[in-house]
Amino acid sequence: MTMDTTAPAQAATPNRSFLRDNPSVLWFMGLLGLFTVIVTILSEGMGAGVMSTNMVKILGMTLCLCLIAIAMDVVWGYCGILSLGHFAFFGLGGYAIGMWLMYARTEIVIRDNLAQGAIPATETEVAEAVASQIFGVVGSSDLPLIWTFAGSLPAQLALVVLVPGLLALVFGWLAFRSRVTGVYLSILTQAMTLALSLYLFQNDTGLRGNNGLSGLQNIPGALDVPQAVISVWFFWASALALGLGYLLFAWVVSGKFGSVIRAIRDNEARVRFLGYNVESYKLFVFTITAVVAGIAGALYYPQAGIINPAQIAPIASIYLAVWVAIGGRGRLYGAVIGAAFVSLLSSWLTGGGAPNIALGPVRIIWTDWWLVLLGLGFVAVTLFFPKGIGGLFDYLVRKQP
Amino acid sequence: MTLLEVSGVSVTFDGFRAINNLSIAIGEPELRAVIGPNGAGKTTFMDIVTGKTRPDTGRVLWGEMSTDLVKLSESQIAKAGIGRKFQKPTVFEDQTVRANLSMALKNKRGPFAVLSWKATPTDHAWIVELAEEVGLADRLDHRAGDLSHGQKQWLEIGMLLAQDPRLLLVDEPAAGMTPAEREHTTDLLKRAAQTRAVVVIEHDMDFIRRLDCRVTVLHEGSVLAEGSLDHVTKNQQVIDVYLGR
Repeated sequence: MTMDTTAPAQAATPNRSFLRDNPSVLWFMGLLGLFTVIVTILSEGMGAGVMSTNMVKILGMTLCLCLIAIAMDVVWGYCGILSLGHFAFFGLGGYAIGMWLMYARTEIVIRDNLAQGAIPATETEVAEAVASQIFGVVGSSDLPLIWTFAGSLPAQLALVVLVPGLLALVFGWLAFRSRVTGVYLSILTQAMTLALSLYLFQNDTGLRGNNGLSGLQNIPGALDVPQAVISVWFFWASALALGLGYLLFAWVVSGKFGSVIRAIRDNEARVRFLGYNVESYKLFVFTITAVVAGIAGALYYPQAGIINPAQIAPIASIYLAVWVAIGGRGRLYGAVIGAAFVSLLSSWLTGGGAPNIALGPVRIIWTDWWLVLLGLGFVAVTLFFPKGIGGLFDYLVRKQP
Repeated sequence: MTLLEVSGVSVTFDGFRAINNLSIAIGEPELRAVIGPNGAGKTTFMDIVTGKTRPDTGRVLWGEMSTDLVKLSESQIAKAGIGRKFQKPTVFEDQTVRANLSMALKNKRGPFAVLSWKATPTDHAWIVELAEEVGLADRLDHRAGDLSHGQKQWLEIGMLLAQDPRLLLVDEPAAGMTPAEREHTTDLLKRAAQTRAVVVIEHDMDFIRRLDCRVTVLHEGSVLAEGSLDHVTKNQQVIDVYLGR
């Protein structure tokens, strides 16, 4: 065995920088930054006021959906685990931050009210009043155990990460250890999501049953700040989170780790014979994407203003898979395009933005027909454009051999 | 020294006894060919050693510590130093030749170690050296899926060498190769067997003859004969099995 230093292969030795190997990351960051600046300039709260506060919120929420979509792309498009449960992690992140938002704001309101009384209220009285204010709607006045830390922002922020992370870790450990794969794993994740949402629908679970948590757009400590300004803050936070999430996942999937998880997707048995513990890789990917999904949810729901168990239902996670499929699996920007395109199109069509079409005896009313369009689109993409919208970029950028 | 000792192993699939009280010992270094008619249990033997199939009874002892491989997972067995090349070449078609080889390189295998892994100059040199060894030096940055069948075989052999295993289990390495390539393969295997244990399953008798090594004949899941090729081909039982009774 001799070394031939003139071999062309060695000239292309890949010790190049991460960004040079992944030009799409720079493009993405540039476009995201540009988009953020444009929205800020147009916004009511900070700029010219051309764009309504509601629109800023919709765009901010869309960025959060893009964030969970890239998480989904890593777990499904790269690692081959079709999880139909990642929206549950998104919802749990939302609930974790929603508890603080609701508790802290109710506490401020109660204190203001009680302060007008002749005798200053004791802490116990305040706590009881807060509990009955929040839980009166489900006929209770006790603060459930899971609300123990609801008054503490750092604690609830930690829960945003810990609850989805631990659930994913335990669930994933059980599922992967038993070598459940493919469609069975999808069904299992869907069952987890369904069980969670049915559980949360009950009134006595401590999260207000089907009422969910509401008033989340009011940020304690910034109650005097107009929504127009808050919406821009959250838009920035969502853009930052998406940017960081994109960087993180682009780095994760770019190197040897990305190689191994794509190999697991294509032939996990073979990867085992190379000496890799497939289960620990899957668990790592499942958990880290669940954590990112939780963070995305924690940014989404303060913009949405309300969270309830219906949003955790399995259908949401199925939509997530559809976005990623339409955008293009196995490339992060594809997931972003899919999530943004489909969710914005959906808001436009179901929000009465699109004119209804009369086709002889059939009248296409988009609020009803939107799902038909989505279904047809999904089938068409699967059959004719398996690479999704993102695949179009392959025509623009000629691949180096 | 005995590196691998399979003793009294039996496996039944749905009532069919694929391996029947099989005992084989492989030394280090050693080159061993395993032959036998279809269904003799050759591939199942490799499945058992690599942890793909669990035997119903028997032990598979490995190395100085006589570790029982039956209790280990596939990845633990691979990490212990057993590499395998499959009958049908299985490389990761969606990835480059370089990525395939660097996954196989003998480095740490844990997710966190792999996440922060960066190829050292030694790794690069080793990858290039392996690629040259298997004739793929100018293909390093090509998709493995674009390679020909024979080249995929070579890539898989390269991946096997990259793992730097103590025991190589090679299932029909010469299938789909030209005579020149076969010759190269025999050279490569013989060279590998100077320092390691190599077990080759092959149907091609000329190939086996060129390996010039000890031969084990399997039949109905157990050892029928063992010895030099000339010795076993003179064995009446072997002749009966191969030519039909």
